[in-house]
Amino acid sequence: MGQLSLKNVVKTFGPIEVVKGVNLDVTEGEFVVFVGPSGCGKSTLLRMIAGLEHTSAGDIVIDDKRVNDLPPVERGIAMVFQSYALYPHMSVYENIAFPLRVEKAPEAVIREKVTAAAKILHLDQRLQQKPGQLSGGQRQRVAIGRAIVREPGIFLFDEPLSNLDAALRADMRIELTRLHKQLGATMIYVTHDQVEAMTMADRIVVLNGGYISQVGAPLELYHKPQNTFVAGFIGNPRMNFLPVTCKAVTDQGAVIDWQGQAVTIPVHAPANAVGQTLSLGIRPEHLRLSGGEMSLAVTPGVVEHLGQQTIAYATLKDSETGFCIVLPGDQKLDADTDVSVSFNAADCHLFDASGAALERRGTFGAAET
Amino acid sequence: MALFHNDNTPMIDRYRWWEVIAIYAGIFVFLFFMLAPFIEGFLVSLKPLAELFSTPYSFWPENGSFDAYFTMWERVPGFAWYVFNSFLISTVATVIVLLLVVPAAYAFARFDFRGMGLVLGGFLAVSMFSGAVLLIPLFRLMRTLGMLNTYWAMIVPGAAFLIPSAIWLLRTYMMRIPTELNEAAYTDGASQFYTFRRVILPIASPGIIVVAIVTFIGAYSQQFIFALTFNSKTEYMPLPIGLYAFFGKQDVVWNELMAAAFVGIAPALVIIFFLQRYLVGGLTAGAVK
Repeated sequence: MGQLSLKNVVKTFGPIEVVKGVNLDVTEGEFVVFVGPSGCGKSTLLRMIAGLEHTSAGDIVIDDKRVNDLPPVERGIAMVFQSYALYPHMSVYENIAFPLRVEKAPEAVIREKVTAAAKILHLDQRLQQKPGQLSGGQRQRVAIGRAIVREPGIFLFDEPLSNLDAALRADMRIELTRLHKQLGATMIYVTHDQVEAMTMADRIVVLNGGYISQVGAPLELYHKPQNTFVAGFIGNPRMNFLPVTCKAVTDQGAVIDWQGQAVTIPVHAPANAVGQTLSLGIRPEHLRLSGGEMSLAVTPGVVEHLGQQTIAYATLKDSETGFCIVLPGDQKLDADTDVSVSFNAADCHLFDASGAALERRGTFGAAET
Repeated sequence: MALFHNDNTPMIDRYRWWEVIAIYAGIFVFLFFMLAPFIEGFLVSLKPLAELFSTPYSFWPENGSFDAYFTMWERVPGFAWYVFNSFLISTVATVIVLLLVVPAAYAFARFDFRGMGLVLGGFLAVSMFSGAVLLIPLFRLMRTLGMLNTYWAMIVPGAAFLIPSAIWLLRTYMMRIPTELNEAAYTDGASQFYTFRRVILPIASPGIIVVAIVTFIGAYSQQFIFALTFNSKTEYMPLPIGLYAFFGKQDVVWNELMAAAFVGIAPALVIIFFLQRYLVGGLTAGAVK
């Protein structure tokens, strides 16, 4: 229960193709997060899996059964909406019981399941209240409770935390992760918040313009993005890019040149990369004030001292190219005063002219090579 | 400085003093025009007939009494029956309108179908016709259907004329109910009808009550023209015809006529006050966000 396959799934609204041939396999019990910018098709894809949007082409297969033409209730899914979608005239108890009442479950079963769900979600004391009397977090828990009682193989979450404030969102993230462990069900979660994606997902699916840009474990995406889009999307603040020239390709990697400084970036580079202009990607948190293999001068425009870290939004010296730097919180940095920052070649990423990554050598964190 | 609350309620406190005076002056002028005839009508019902024709005319009664409210029943013995007829015709018309309009408004609010704009526009267009323009064709229709001189002659056209505006009113209300509730119910396995009955109807109840009140008042006030045209039997005559009985050959018994008018609208007022208890706002609170 809870296996999902998307086979070349397409969704068109009139002449506009929103989802452009998506292939994905989700195994039982996995927590998969769809992430991407607004309009990338992530919510549409989720609604297609739910059965709320007609699938224009391709197959949606749940537990080896093609479900394209089945209504949501026969797909073995339950959905939690961004806006909660609670029935405002019903009590919390009746809201959670709603799917069971629809299927005409015996009263004793309803009571048992609602009570169990309420206990998991810490709603036992709220069962007689109406949604209007609850806080945002409690309402979202009621919406989750309504999904739980159906005991679905797959839970679908459409940006469930986006209406909550930052502190509550952090709490709910932890609760949802705990819930996933407790229930062991497959969960598919849509968000535009990469922190949610990174912290909760077993695998992240990065969508861009209706296509899957990359699928992988959170740290795999962080350490080995397959293209500039994923490199820029995963990681906050986003990765810096510099145009560099490939001077040579050796067994150790690609030798690049940046304003007279030559360094070898440890990547698998094709021989024909020599002479090409490549994009050097360096994450803001991999920069330091001294001690790196390569350095460059920048002019900080805005400096944010956050205590834990200092973030500088700078430009390259004598250039308009933006460059972001993240330093430890105790580092002193003044706005509008030129500073030299450096980094190590091993922390860098290289992308070819089409934006595709040259595969990095080595093992990074939990990512597989 | 915000002019409106989040819920678009004007904040009178935020206006300057002279703006507040202007607003209340405007309200007073409207209220005066609306209420003055009622007030004078009520005062006339309290005056003895002789006082009504005395010169100079006195606005306030000098020998006021509720005598007319008792004597009116003797002058027109069947008056209670007229009131009952009016009440019956309006109630049945309202029930018919609600039975047809509630599902129709839901369909117009929730489903997108070919020709919907045309149908809605058509409703609006036909509701602009005055009933008087259609009296002769309607008369022929009523005669063909054998409805002349029955309650239905007043109920059916009455309901038909009230349906278009009722659909527009209720559709607007239902469109404000979040569609996510339909989607949530659908994913939970509820049928369209189940969702309509268990989710939409309870949330739409304030809108339905407003439509019921507006329809009931509309049905109550439009009976005169249909009654005169499609009915010649006294036993089916509604209140407006009953009031005519106070017009004598030579004179009009004004105080009793006014008393009868107030007695006649009493059932309608009772119904409205009863329904108003269920007019509660904020029913969708907590549904979304």
